[in-house]
Amino acid sequence: MAKGSVVAIDIDVTRRLGDRVIAARFAAGPGLTALFGPSGAGKTSILNMVAGLLRPDRGHIRVGDRTLFDSATDLSPEARRVGYVFQDGRLFPHRRVRANLTYGLDLAPPANRWMSLDEATRFLGIDHLLDRWPQGLSGGEAQRVAIGRALLAGPEILLMDEPLSSLDAARRGDIMKVIERIRDELGLPILYVSHDRAEVDRLATQVVEIGE
Amino acid sequence: MARLLRLFPLLFALLLAPDAMARARGPVVLAAASLQESLTEAADAWAAKGHPKPVLSFAASSALARQVIAGAPADLFLSADEPWMDAAAKAGMLRAGTRATLLGNRLVLIAPAASRARLTIARGFPLARALGSGRLALADPGAVPAGKYAKAALAHLGVWSGVAGRVAPAENVRAALALVERGAAPFGVVYATDVRASTAVRIVGVFPASSHPPIRYPVAVLKASRHRDAGAFRAFLFSKRGRAIFARHGFSAS
Amino acid sequence: MLSPEEWGIVALSLKVGGVAVLATLPVAFGLAWILARYRFPGRVVLDALVHLPLVLPPVVTGWLLLIAFGPLGPVGRWLESWFGATLMFRWTGAALAAAIMALPLMVRAMRLSIEGIDRRLEGAARTLGATPWHCFWSVSLPLALPGVLAALVLGFARSIGEFGATITFVSNIPGETRTLPLAIYSALQVPGGEAMVTRLALLSVALSLGALILSEWLVRRTHGERQRRGD
Repeated sequence: MAKGSVVAIDIDVTRRLGDRVIAARFAAGPGLTALFGPSGAGKTSILNMVAGLLRPDRGHIRVGDRTLFDSATDLSPEARRVGYVFQDGRLFPHRRVRANLTYGLDLAPPANRWMSLDEATRFLGIDHLLDRWPQGLSGGEAQRVAIGRALLAGPEILLMDEPLSSLDAARRGDIMKVIERIRDELGLPILYVSHDRAEVDRLATQVVEIGE
Repeated sequence: MARLLRLFPLLFALLLAPDAMARARGPVVLAAASLQESLTEAADAWAAKGHPKPVLSFAASSALARQVIAGAPADLFLSADEPWMDAAAKAGMLRAGTRATLLGNRLVLIAPAASRARLTIARGFPLARALGSGRLALADPGAVPAGKYAKAALAHLGVWSGVAGRVAPAENVRAALALVERGAAPFGVVYATDVRASTAVRIVGVFPASSHPPIRYPVAVLKASRHRDAGAFRAFLFSKRGRAIFARHGFSAS
Repeated sequence: MLSPEEWGIVALSLKVGGVAVLATLPVAFGLAWILARYRFPGRVVLDALVHLPLVLPPVVTGWLLLIAFGPLGPVGRWLESWFGATLMFRWTGAALAAAIMALPLMVRAMRLSIEGIDRRLEGAARTLGATPWHCFWSVSLPLALPGVLAALVLGFARSIGEFGATITFVSNIPGETRTLPLAIYSALQVPGGEAMVTRLALLSVALSLGALILSEWLVRRTHGERQRRGD
């Protein structure tokens, strides 16, 4: 299982995008930290900066005792150990569910793997989907596979970008339970982007307001 | 804009004008590639006498024979060997009584001008060895007269089997000449008259006339001929003036 | 049906076309990738150069090859002195001519495919721990595969049909450079070659049609299969 220790997240980033400036500055502890704000505020951009997919103009990003970004450092995405669950899932269409799940697992050094395929599929309730193709999955199933794929890569922090927005009410409830279990049982810090107050109220350990 | 539009009929008329000019054209002559310079000079001399200038088309005799047999609208056919003229005759494409042999030629072995190769053409001479990894340039020995003569000569001398697989067959004898000029082939077999037309090759040896069928250039008026000058131009080629032009380019009078 | 000589011509065409396309594949892919993904000074010039064989008269392309790769050309002489190899009158020269003519078509087909890759999937792969190299082989390339396959088949069809550049560069040597189009041309030059021309021409049509159908099927299979994977 994952580490149960206190992981500090320290983020201070600024980035110009077009004619907007996106800035965020906060520290977070374990549990689920929600980045809450209206659409277009730049919440996804902040996640992308933490993941290494977008380069901040200045600032720093620290997770635990590792510096992912500052004036002297800019780790590539594959070195950051950041798990990312995208709003649209982004499962690889040319691989079955099993191969999607094991993509990151196979790449991670054994020391970093804190979950096995069996554990993940049981945790998420997706073992009956392993031989399916992503295109044939329902929204809720695809999201669970996306979560599983990210978890199996052995991340130190999990990023989630509005994972419930494309789901119907019933599915939403199921996935929220999964997220709560990740928050409580796995001890993995989560950065969670949402514009939905109800979601945030239920899931968040800490709320950071973004944007205006 | 309207002014520009008014130009269109004028442009159109101009495009059609060449048709009118065509009526002042001379007879169309299909001639073997080796006659390029000599026949051009003869046509110029004919035009200088006040006649419409003949239109000359040079290619391998085999290709020309094909066009003649297919009914090409030409007036005269000048072939580099008798068999292709025979083929045209057999297809009924020649006007009776107009076929005669005009010219003769010799066959030579050539090399690029810078080459210092020395070979004596005789029975079994070491051409294959001299070729090394290079190829022998000649007109397609399967169909083009210059190539057929070359193959016959080399076979007669007992050399063909050694070089048959090392040949660069060209579309016509001038293309073979060009290969040697370019240095792409170390040796080639062309007509003696072709060498006069080039400064980039030298003659290594002359094939004995007995080693191949006599090189004869027959000429005939085609049945499809419509031009009133066709017979007259043909007669000019046989005249003292015409023969002198060909002699100056190295052709013999058959 | 076909004489041994004619089968030989077909075999030569397939060999020349096959080698041309396989050798061009990595070059075309590299060029397509660069043109699709990067902005740099001179990009327009590179794009134009790649397309040049498509718009130049083939004879001109053949002549340029002759100047560069012929026995007196800079590259030709280098090949001769370093490897003792010459492209003149050889099937390798015919393959080079075919490759140059097929290049623009292959680059275009692959570039389209590369531009269609969802970059966000590549981003996802990177966050899962893939280096750019691994991401390329495990995600980008498989996603670009339909374009690569289409380029292969299109390039092959173009290669076996290549005439102008081939005959200008390496002439018409039976057994070495007399591919299908050149053989048809030769047969046309001689009265009485009709039967051979007909046979070879029909074969040409069959090969080209076959290549096109295969190309369509491959593209559909790789794309459609993904669509249909809702089992």
